[in-house]
Amino acid sequence: MRKLMDGHNFQDRDWLFGLMIQSKLFCPKRAGGRVFISPDYNQTMEQQREMTMKRIAYLLDRGVFDGWLTGKGAEAEMRKFALHEVIGMYDHSLAVKLGVHYYLWGGAIQFFGTKRHHDKWLRDTEAYMIKGCFAMSELGHGSNVRGIETVTTYDANTGEFVINTPCESAQKYWIGGAANHATHTIVFSQLNINGNKQGVHAFIAQIRDADGNICPNIRVADCGHKIGLNGVDNGRIWFDNVRIPRENLLNSVADVLPDGQYLSAIKDPDQRFAAFLAPLTSGRVTIAVSAVYSSKISLAIAIRYSLTRRAFSLAPNEPEVLLLDYPSHQRRLLPLLAKTCAMSFAGNYLKMIYVKRTPQSNKMIHVVSSAFKATLTWHNMRTLQECREACGGQGVKTENRVGHMKSEYDVQSTFEGDNNVLMQQVSKALLGEYIAAKKRKAPFKGLGLEHMNESCPVIPSQLTSSTLQSSRFQTDVFCLRERDLLNRFAIEVSQRQAQGESKEYAFILSYQLAEDLGRAFSDRLILQTFLEAEATVSDGPMKNVLGLLRSMYALISLEEDPAFLRYGYLSTENAAAVRKEVTKLCGELRPHALALVSSFGIPDAFLSPIAFDWIDANSWSSVQH
Amino acid sequence: MAPPSSTNGETNQVLVEEKLSVRTLILNRPRQLNALSFEMVSRLLELFLAYEQDCNIKLVIVKGKGRSFCAGGDVAAVVHMINEGNWKLGAEFFSTEYILNYVMATYPKPQVSILNGIVMGGGAGASIHGRFRVATENSVFAMPETALGLFPDIGASYFLSRLPGFFGEYVGLTGTRLDGAEMLACGLATHFVPSMRLSLLEEALCKVNSSDPAIISATIDKYSQQPYLKEQSSCHWLAIIDRCFSRRTIEEILSALEREATNMVDDWISATIQSLKKASPTSLKISLRSIREGRLQGVGQCLAREYRMVCHVMRGEVSKDFFEGCRAILLDKDKNPKWKPSKLEQINDDMVDQYFSKVDDEEWEDLKLPARSNLPVTAIAKL
Repeated sequence: MRKLMDGHNFQDRDWLFGLMIQSKLFCPKRAGGRVFISPDYNQTMEQQREMTMKRIAYLLDRGVFDGWLTGKGAEAEMRKFALHEVIGMYDHSLAVKLGVHYYLWGGAIQFFGTKRHHDKWLRDTEAYMIKGCFAMSELGHGSNVRGIETVTTYDANTGEFVINTPCESAQKYWIGGAANHATHTIVFSQLNINGNKQGVHAFIAQIRDADGNICPNIRVADCGHKIGLNGVDNGRIWFDNVRIPRENLLNSVADVLPDGQYLSAIKDPDQRFAAFLAPLTSGRVTIAVSAVYSSKISLAIAIRYSLTRRAFSLAPNEPEVLLLDYPSHQRRLLPLLAKTCAMSFAGNYLKMIYVKRTPQSNKMIHVVSSAFKATLTWHNMRTLQECREACGGQGVKTENRVGHMKSEYDVQSTFEGDNNVLMQQVSKALLGEYIAAKKRKAPFKGLGLEHMNESCPVIPSQLTSSTLQSSRFQTDVFCLRERDLLNRFAIEVSQRQAQGESKEYAFILSYQLAEDLGRAFSDRLILQTFLEAEATVSDGPMKNVLGLLRSMYALISLEEDPAFLRYGYLSTENAAAVRKEVTKLCGELRPHALALVSSFGIPDAFLSPIAFDWIDANSWSSVQH
Repeated sequence: MAPPSSTNGETNQVLVEEKLSVRTLILNRPRQLNALSFEMVSRLLELFLAYEQDCNIKLVIVKGKGRSFCAGGDVAAVVHMINEGNWKLGAEFFSTEYILNYVMATYPKPQVSILNGIVMGGGAGASIHGRFRVATENSVFAMPETALGLFPDIGASYFLSRLPGFFGEYVGLTGTRLDGAEMLACGLATHFVPSMRLSLLEEALCKVNSSDPAIISATIDKYSQQPYLKEQSSCHWLAIIDRCFSRRTIEEILSALEREATNMVDDWISATIQSLKKASPTSLKISLRSIREGRLQGVGQCLAREYRMVCHVMRGEVSKDFFEGCRAILLDKDKNPKWKPSKLEQINDDMVDQYFSKVDDEEWEDLKLPARSNLPVTAIAKL
């Protein structure tokens, strides 16, 4: 089961777990006869930032990052994902700091740059000889990248670009690595050439010299203390007519000749911008997957705790009841467990389509990565909160990890695309497909919408237990929801347009259907990835448990989304049957709970004392030592 | 099942001394350096289980007769068994031994092992899993299995992986010898007591009448001494050990060591490289993976995994290095084993994987460990 959950690179992961567990830099602490490793979050912001750099230096020295930028092919990319996931399980700050350097800075060189950039920068980046960061967001613009205000012009006399911050709202903000350490940055800026506004482009600028002094005409300030992620030094950057060589334009999509002529293979500025942003997908993939691992860790802790903690007896003189023997406690944790397993398969699917990407699949990957990033990170925050509460007072101790992870992972719903904006983009893309198919009078193709070419699924009025647990029913009802919502959404938008609203504004007004639709798409696709994973397993006990998990995932989604009742995909009788089945599934999954969280492959050292013998961990003798 | 023919049925191979609430078990095969026979591991297991149930017994002491604690499991006898009959007799020896290791690792009462001499292989299995390990100036520790075509078993993947940094990989792969001071420094020993104080120590332990580890520890402390690490100790090379033995594969470990050797010429580095080059290449690869997996597992899982591995070793499907190693080192003593495969690059991942899989035999089962009622959800050993 561990192989199915993690998907790939098991020995690489175990090796990296070992590297961290055996090093004092990762703060090993003994509790209850076990060793746990976790950063010391009680250190100051400056100390935490320094520790992050020390850990990076250690991992670099041990060869963890070899091939992260110079390696080629799907195998190298999957190994990189695996190692980055393991790092995230230790500390989100460490993963983010490395993500900025390797995936954002490094990825920009790889995908926005051309050979001359690869030759000049990739090797040094991989060896951490330079420290990169990624200056895209500004004080006034985050989600709307096209609206950024940094301006770059071209001086044909000197063959240099000139980057400038024209006003305070244009200062670069939240730039990970910029406040203390970064020597170089990707700068996103409007490009104005010969009076023409050519749109957003990416450049390379040096911001610190090798000794760590800030370069001339660059100003840097600190974003300051954050609610979490204080191991990352986020900074603000102002450019005061900074001159960079012409070669520093990352020119895979567009170029400027020495005489100032602007060239691009893609004529349409919208398409050019989309081609530009395509490489940022890898960031969304890593975030989505790290959200799943965070959920796994918190569930492993909370479920293990609930298997040893007791409260209240049913009758006097009887032993108190184990938390996980309460139906209410099962209902709080086991559906989240099932969803996390489902999203684990979805994450593996996302990684696979990403590493196998082609120019044709880019659009689909953009939509799927947006949907999954939003869904999986929201799920993680919800899971963290529930697990914190399920651990009671112990959940409030930083040492027990679950509670602290809330503040560390909160940012996931915002960075690399605000979740709400991403989901709107998903429904916009679906609407676009819908309208295009109708216009062509052709069947639906792409984004998994092929089910809409079949006849509309019919939901039986009587839902028995075996129907509810059948993949046929589950797929039908998810497809029904997506299909119907897409129809309704298209109708509502076109009605508003008929009433005189612009297409953009009609879309904005129909936000409620857009949200429902985005969720429907995401859930349906996750269910499909679950079924695909299930199909790879031969009959036996493991397949049975997977079936239970999948049913729980599907049915809890039916329970929790009001859309099923609101739009009549389920009758109230249906909904009652679903609710009952969920309770039944809780009982059926309860005996497998420990084995399931063990199959997450998380070493004991990465959990916390309450997942084991928490009485011994809190004993007086351990205070004395 | 018949005990192996090398046993002298008249001499008791495990002597028992009873003093108040303490039982002292003495490994009694001094001519074979107290190497563990099938009779000994069975008897030890029997005794340990019996003492667990007896509430009059509070402490178990284990020591060796003569100048050795225990030089290891009697693998020559196992090879003999296999050559005579089949590998399943050998499997029975190992499963009994590993169950003994598990019982010691999860024992609710303290075990004090007096390691006044050689403690290697199976001897480590009979002592390191106990709560207290007393080293002396005579102690010589080693896990020499890779030179024999075997691998560090007896739960070594559990305790070696938990030594500081990557010292465990170094010890398990090179078979290096450690003295008492080094054992204390890296945590294999919990105390160091000069040998001349041992009889006083044992007397004091017999009078303590307690199972409380804090009291036992304090008692041993009274006779303890802080030993000095010798100048050429490998404990001075920890930074290089960590850098090199943390590498992902045996090949990378060797090239890291060779890189270090170009920067500084020292006997220690060349000796380390030599011991890796002389070891069975198959043993090196499976040992490394065993230790790496063991780092993330409980002691029961480690022993179960090692049992699978040792069965595959005995079946000789991938490599017969175990038989060649025993021949060259223990029987013919020419010390020139001809390993097959002879080179690291001839051993691919699939071949290594085989050692970790279930044995393809109808009658074979995974190691069955006894249920331990006094434990929380997973077993905790005492290192």
